[in-house]
Amino acid sequence: MKRLRREMSNVPPSATDIHQLIEETYRSESRRVFASLVRFLRDFDLAEEAMHEAFAAAVERWPREGLPDNPRAWLVSAGRFKALDARRRLSHFNTLQPELAGRLAEIAESNTARVDRAIEDDRLGLVFACCHPAIDLSAQIPLTLREVCGLTTEEIAGAFLTLPATMAQRIVRGKAKVRDAGIPIAIPAADELSERLGSVLTVIYLVFNEGYSATSGEAITRADLSGEAIRLGRLVVELLPEPEAIGLLALMLLQESRRRARSTTDGDIILLEEQDRSAWDTRLIAEGRSLVDQSLKALKFGPYTLQAAIAAVHADAPTAAATDWGRIASLYDALIVLNPSPVVELNRAVAVAMRDGLAAGLNVIDLILGRGDLAEYHLAHAARADLLRRLGRKDEARVAYERALTLAQQEPERRFLMKRLSQL
Amino acid sequence: MKYMLLMYGGENCWTDEERKDCMIGCLKICEELAAQGKFIATSPLQPITTAATVRVRDGRTLITDGPFAETTEHLGGYFVLDLADIDEAIEIASRLPPINKGTAEIRPLLSIDGLPPARPFPVGSVDPNGTPYMLICYDDETKWREADSSVLREAMVEAALLARRLSDAGKYLNASPLQSASTAACVRVRDGKRQVTAGPFAETHEVLGGFYLILAESHEAALRVAAQHPGARLGSVEVRPLFDFSELQYSVSIS
Repeated sequence: MKRLRREMSNVPPSATDIHQLIEETYRSESRRVFASLVRFLRDFDLAEEAMHEAFAAAVERWPREGLPDNPRAWLVSAGRFKALDARRRLSHFNTLQPELAGRLAEIAESNTARVDRAIEDDRLGLVFACCHPAIDLSAQIPLTLREVCGLTTEEIAGAFLTLPATMAQRIVRGKAKVRDAGIPIAIPAADELSERLGSVLTVIYLVFNEGYSATSGEAITRADLSGEAIRLGRLVVELLPEPEAIGLLALMLLQESRRRARSTTDGDIILLEEQDRSAWDTRLIAEGRSLVDQSLKALKFGPYTLQAAIAAVHADAPTAAATDWGRIASLYDALIVLNPSPVVELNRAVAVAMRDGLAAGLNVIDLILGRGDLAEYHLAHAARADLLRRLGRKDEARVAYERALTLAQQEPERRFLMKRLSQL
Repeated sequence: MKYMLLMYGGENCWTDEERKDCMIGCLKICEELAAQGKFIATSPLQPITTAATVRVRDGRTLITDGPFAETTEHLGGYFVLDLADIDEAIEIASRLPPINKGTAEIRPLLSIDGLPPARPFPVGSVDPNGTPYMLICYDDETKWREADSSVLREAMVEAALLARRLSDAGKYLNASPLQSASTAACVRVRDGKRQVTAGPFAETHEVLGGFYLILAESHEAALRVAAQHPGARLGSVEVRPLFDFSELQYSVSIS
């Protein structure tokens, strides 16, 4: 029998209070209840329905019976009973499902388990399921936003500038894959954790970048995506404080801290060195910096932590000129070891230019381009053009800016390059 | 959940000695799985020079030499296992020796009613009803989805009846449709590092949709069975003799 707490038994809470409590519970707990139900039922649609039915049951019963000791456990339990009922009804119509009988027995058995047993937070297991490498990357991101963050299909479609129908199809396929391919709603075993955490962090960072990349027009929905990514990042850190998870959260917070300063109201790019540093969000910087320190101390950090550490050096500098470029260049040296890529080398070249002189930096960029890497990457030519401009080699700078302009896709970037060209 | 692990690889990248070690390694893992009640079936397939593909169009049987898809890496063997979830399938796939040079495609089976019970065929068994063959059905999933559901249903009933007839004749070993190709995942291990990707091994128009393990007294007899399968009318059925690895049996004792 469920133990129900009568709040101050002589003064029963009013129905309005209870309704308010249910609403608050919905806001704070519904995604967790949903995640637990997905784990038990292994079916997103059934879990979604069961979750709503559980809350409907709460609206009906809590005012009468009082608030349960553990509302979340009550809701999960109620949801499972509802799902069991639904499956029973379904089984009358669908005797072709041989697995069903077994599943019913399984559910019935687990339902008789103690109701007010502490229910763990299954949201992280759900994140791992949605970001499972067996699911196509194009479905991992929308599935995570839909099932973990609770965004609507329309919101996700809007943020990714896709038709809701296309997005709905991707989500439906992702959900079917979790169910039909037997993707577990669980945190992977220790020996697989770092590999699987890698895919989770990739998805979170892609969501963040989708919201952070400078495009005009949809600025509002896009900022929301960055906010969702940060929320997800916090969830992962809260439940699984691995150094790289902490590093990614730090990186996102430090990048986010510059959001207001990085473009004009017209959506034009403002380079880091020209940003109004007083517009940087000091609260986010402080949190990001302390997370970087925490992760660096763990000594098991990776590329996200190093990128965050670089962002933290920028955040610490009162002016662009006063930046500790020596430290940035050496952090890039470490990053190249962990994550060798021509793009990281390019960023390092810029730091070298600031530390050792423009010509030294230019030399590094020319070496990268000389190898044939980054020939089609507009930022490589833009960085080269910038160094040439500062060196007073205007003609060469013009050629490089023009090359960058033919390769650049995003409108704000093209406007920026055209402005630079006109200033030569 | 039941899973099929399909092992793809280049046929020429193994020496005979390596191939033998590889099979023994696989059998040892199967022995371990059998002890846990997770093993259903496995076999290497004969080289693709023995493969033939059957299609039936307008009532005429068309037989082409060679496998369904001309790829540089070929289906070289399979495992059918009963596992907790896809993570367990990935974990086992990444331990199988052929994974170091090839790819494992993991496909969940679609459980349906109406198929005869599977019959175990221990390694090196001799059966008067013939030697084992695998029929691999490829079909166009979009065509199925667009077709009336009664068409699919009829084809499934027809396939189940074929299985029943084979079973009555003592020639049926096992069969199952697979979940749609969108549920597939692939595993590779290179330099000790595991990669898991979404989707099937080969991006083909017609996709692997199911398999039959049968006994046939000859290659021709196996082709005749393939031609009776509804999949041959609607797609293609690849016929592959299983590799007899009974001489390796001394090293392991699975059935």
